[in-house]
Amino acid sequence: MARHSVIEDTPPPGVLIVGAGFIADHHGAALRATPRARLAGIVDVDAGRASAAATAAGGVAWSTDLGEALARPDVDAVIVCTPNMTHEPIALQVAAAGKHLLMEKPLTITVPSARAVVEAFDAAGTVVMAAHTHRFYDYGRAVDDAIAGGAIGRPVFARLAMLGGWIWPDWRAWVLDPAKSGGHALHNGVHLLDLVSWWLRDEPVSVYARGRKRTAEELRIHDYLEMHVEYAGGASAVCEMSRGHRPSTIDRRDVLVAGTDGVLQLPAEGWGSPLVTESGASLLPPQAANGFAVQLDAWLDAIADPAAERAMTPADAVRAVALGVATELSIERAEPVTLDEVMGGVLA
Amino acid sequence: MSDTLGVLLLGFAGLGPDQDHQQDMYLPAFSTHDGFEVVAVAGDDAAGRTTAERLAGKLGLPAPAADLATALADPAVDVVSVCVSPERRADAVIAALRAGKHVLADKPLALTAADAARVAAVAAETGLVCLPAHHQRFHPMIGAARGAVAAGKVGLPWNVQADFLVAGGTPSPAGELANFAVYPIDVVLALTGQRVRRVFARLSTHWSDGGADDHALLFLDHDNGLTSTISVGRTRELADTPPAGLALHRYRVSGSHGVLDIDASRPAVVLRRAEASSHTWHGAGTVDRLLDELRAAIAAGRPSAPSAADAVHIAEIVDAARTSAASGTPVELSQEGSR
Repeated sequence: MARHSVIEDTPPPGVLIVGAGFIADHHGAALRATPRARLAGIVDVDAGRASAAATAAGGVAWSTDLGEALARPDVDAVIVCTPNMTHEPIALQVAAAGKHLLMEKPLTITVPSARAVVEAFDAAGTVVMAAHTHRFYDYGRAVDDAIAGGAIGRPVFARLAMLGGWIWPDWRAWVLDPAKSGGHALHNGVHLLDLVSWWLRDEPVSVYARGRKRTAEELRIHDYLEMHVEYAGGASAVCEMSRGHRPSTIDRRDVLVAGTDGVLQLPAEGWGSPLVTESGASLLPPQAANGFAVQLDAWLDAIADPAAERAMTPADAVRAVALGVATELSIERAEPVTLDEVMGGVLA
Repeated sequence: MSDTLGVLLLGFAGLGPDQDHQQDMYLPAFSTHDGFEVVAVAGDDAAGRTTAERLAGKLGLPAPAADLATALADPAVDVVSVCVSPERRADAVIAALRAGKHVLADKPLALTAADAARVAAVAAETGLVCLPAHHQRFHPMIGAARGAVAAGKVGLPWNVQADFLVAGGTPSPAGELANFAVYPIDVVLALTGQRVRRVFARLSTHWSDGGADDHALLFLDHDNGLTSTISVGRTRELADTPPAGLALHRYRVSGSHGVLDIDASRPAVVLRRAEASSHTWHGAGTVDRLLDELRAAIAAGRPSAPSAADAVHIAEIVDAARTSAASGTPVELSQEGSR
């Protein structure tokens, strides 16, 4: 892994966290655990939330004004954890301020805006990375390592299921508003769409998706998504993302990748130690690397050496957005949608 | 009718030159089943007659009849096990039914939905049993699951995900959509009881050197909003799977109140030795249980489950899958259905 190329007495980059919701806690914990960067401050539109998070983080600076925070010379980079519809304007503001960016997924909720963000960072010469954290979890890497090692030949078919029950707040949650979240495909679907595309090492060409509103018919997003992706090299994938399964305690990840020379499986029941207690049965997960910390390292590597190969490229982030948009469109039309169409006829 | 039914083994062909379910699957199962006795063999073409003559000698049976009509006129025959070449299969099944015989028909019952419908019409008209050999639904894990789902154990089912991956063996020259898809489609229909209304499909060739498809993905929209996805195909050989054995055979049923995972590689005693590990179990196989259903339907004078009508619906789905894969768009099935 590349290490930062700064001379020894240069202070580690100062990182601003924008948006003090639950996902910010994961990024904050990763930041506190690394000597390679330091938390420079917290920005949130809600002063109470910003100050509380700043206090919890050991009394760092906080603000409700992003422009003011970005102007600080001790801020070199930004991790954005705000609602999806704010990603584009905030990203453009960060690019204009000349800072690096780790953007919670999705990069943005439309393809033109995703492109605009990538172009803005290209122009500024700074790093932008979308936080597709599953690439940095042990399981995602184990599957990728096996494929990279040629264990199953050329991968041709992947199944990835992430099944869970309702975890969102009530009707007022922004994620339930497609105008704010982009829909479930942009909010969570992109995790799976990115991961299988990475594993399959192939370029997606079309998506056929089916969505369900399991928890309530009045939902305006699909709490269950089934996404079938076809790839240029002939591979295909079936991804399922659910927040609509019952019982709501279900927590399931299932991986199957078939290759020309073998089959790879991470069975749903192979995840941990079965634990049966007076209150029922559950799975005790194994100790694992902190995906947020591994991801942070990858981002800091890119900042230290922008020319080095990236763990997650800007083009990957645009592609994930395009796949999410194609999924939502395919559900609406009940027909397959080509990536060409959602990319505006130009492949990134 | 005596307790033991006389069986005529008719034809020894399949999809592809080395597929002979008659001798590989049905003859052994009929031979060990208390309710049946193989009393005659016959072929309907030169190759079939040659096999029939050799088999008659081996089994100590009378010489095969010279033609189909004579073979079907044998009063000792109650049941005809039909494995004639798929393109003549529908006509042979119809001839057997017209001759007053019950039928076990190798899969596929016919190569098109239209041909399957002709068979189903004659089966309905004669009131005789015409059982398509969709034996995977009789797997003990699947049989138990059918009961559980029907009893509402997962509430109202809304999605099924299925994988049916065979490893090794000889790829079917007709493609694995034609060869294998009938099995998992039949299981999904047996599990849920919901007819299919819309089909989107993709066919690929990943593993075989020939041009035929060896992987099909079927995205089915059923009645009552149920959706199902079936991955079916044949990979290359795998060390821990016997040639032409199932490397992966599983179904997940998601319902309004629960989830049921069915792994048809179980129950199993797992054997691990110096060579690749293997599995074993005791008890009746799926074909033995298929014959139990044949015997029970004949005794009760009821249509078998699966019925010829079920085979028609599956053939409609397979036809639609082929059309969808060629066009790249979903295909609607007729609303009235074929029941």
